[in-house]
Amino acid sequence: MGTRVSEDAAPTEAPPADSRWRRPPSRLYSRAGFAGGATFVAGYLSLIVLIPIAALVAHGFSLGVQTGGWGAAFWHWHVHADFRSFWTMITRPAAVSAIRLSLWLSLSVAAINAVMGVAIAWVLVRDRFRAKWAIEALIDLPFALPTIVVGVVLLSLYGMASPVGINLFETWMGLMVALLFVTLPFSVRAVQPVLASLDGEAEAAAKSLGAGGVRTFVSVVLPSLWPAMLGGFGLAFARAVGEFGSISLIAGGVGRTTTASSYIFNLTQGFLWGDAAAVSTALLVLSLAVLVSSNVLARRVARRLAP
Amino acid sequence: MSISLSHLTKRYGSNVVVDDVSVEIPEGSLTAVLGPSGSGKSTLLKLISGLETLDQGRVVIEGDDVTNVDPRHRDIGFCFQHYAPFRHMTVSRNIAFGLRVRKQPRDVIAAKVAELLALVKLENKANAYPAQLSGGERQRMALARALAIEPRVLLLDEPFGALDALVRTELRQWVKELHQQIKVTTVLVTHDQGEAMEVADQLLIMHQGRIEQDGHPTDIYERPATEFVQGFLGPTTIFKGSAVRPHALELEGPGAGAIEGAVTSIVELGFEVQVTVLLSDGSMPWVQLSRNEYAALGVGVGSRISIRERD
Repeated sequence: MGTRVSEDAAPTEAPPADSRWRRPPSRLYSRAGFAGGATFVAGYLSLIVLIPIAALVAHGFSLGVQTGGWGAAFWHWHVHADFRSFWTMITRPAAVSAIRLSLWLSLSVAAINAVMGVAIAWVLVRDRFRAKWAIEALIDLPFALPTIVVGVVLLSLYGMASPVGINLFETWMGLMVALLFVTLPFSVRAVQPVLASLDGEAEAAAKSLGAGGVRTFVSVVLPSLWPAMLGGFGLAFARAVGEFGSISLIAGGVGRTTTASSYIFNLTQGFLWGDAAAVSTALLVLSLAVLVSSNVLARRVARRLAP
Repeated sequence: MSISLSHLTKRYGSNVVVDDVSVEIPEGSLTAVLGPSGSGKSTLLKLISGLETLDQGRVVIEGDDVTNVDPRHRDIGFCFQHYAPFRHMTVSRNIAFGLRVRKQPRDVIAAKVAELLALVKLENKANAYPAQLSGGERQRMALARALAIEPRVLLLDEPFGALDALVRTELRQWVKELHQQIKVTTVLVTHDQGEAMEVADQLLIMHQGRIEQDGHPTDIYERPATEFVQGFLGPTTIFKGSAVRPHALELEGPGAGAIEGAVTSIVELGFEVQVTVLLSDGSMPWVQLSRNEYAALGVGVGSRISIRERD
């Protein structure tokens, strides 16, 4: 308990610079309990996440069936050959155009919602108005709604028989509207708590130093939001890349609106399991790259902001 | 007069936080606004800075009526209780902020920042981030940032409140010296009477949104205008039906012709000894003695003793 008291005595003293991110191990809880927890988490993650992904990758490279029982050299040759077939499968024109469409759509949707997420979170946190609870609920709606329902709604609203006269059927704009809708909660909810935690003192300080509203927002508020915005960006991107239900109807059946997820679905309909696994693996790698880099970037920014 | 406040009033709903406050703060002074929490002292500071809008009254700074002037244009240096650092900026950039907003040329900014870093003794932390500073260093950075714009008035909200005891004492002394060096009119808010007495050359005692008394610290301590001020500035005890300072009483052996009573408790606090006496009328004043006086008296719990006011 002695350490506990001394920590409380000087809450505002920052730890030395080099140990900013290494919290001292807590002595209030036994280490054995934590080790058990880690084992459990690792086991659960393997079961739920790692094994299916490993199976997918193995399938993409056709590893499972062709390597059993062979000698090391032969095994190596097989992997090489399989990589070539993997490359062939993901560089088919239809596959490339589907992956490209998914990537640029998802990146732009994540970027647009990162900006809109801040605007909406700002209004929810800083403004007082009557229907706030309704807007709060509305933002979570895309979480709750089955995506195919979103697809049906969007098709009836922006389809060929659009009651508002906007026909987005079989256009990238239709896909974008659907993706903006389903990813909005990620962007808003990532930023909102951070914005709520700002006490406004730094903003008041900027004001007293002569900064106007825009200046204060750009140079004082926004930098504190970057990590959360990047986190939201990563989540929204991942969701958009994987989205299928909400876009499947408004995309129609033409090549120019076939996203990677639809392409994979189409392949499975033709029993082309190898191609489907290969494109899935490519998508997995690309998504992982975007997620990891947005996380690394967020962490790098957050390091400076540590209290 | 550097700051002149007349009839300042601020309400939150039906709660009057600052109640018709009028006061003059002299040029170049270091004034402490002292009061218990909830007395409206921080709000008063925010009203002067314009960070809080007032319901009634006028704020005049160096002859300019700034009542309706936006806080950005009041030329006031404000230091927040928790320093409000810009966390993503280095110490230098924090200090330079006000100058950059004012679009000063680069070399002017660099020179000013270097000068301020030296003034607050943070030369070797110029490129550190606030997260890498101790509480005291953050406070000094916040001071330098506020001073960079060469404010007409410096306002400090509980400047030592979030620091531990040792750093606090050190920084108090430093702020006092800094003020003697730069002579900018400074108002600081505190709830700690010791701090206020030590640092300030002017005191404003606030209570329930009103100014109870203002003036020189020693004058106020010796001639408190109200019972609240007397109680707030130091310990009091009831003797012969009125509040007096415990060190204004003295004890003698029995039969000295003064009021007599029996010692009920003795608390030894190092140099200071507190002796509580039960008098025949049932009152129990306590007396503050020095260690030497106590030793010379030679009493214990239960001793008969006589008590009177010092001359």
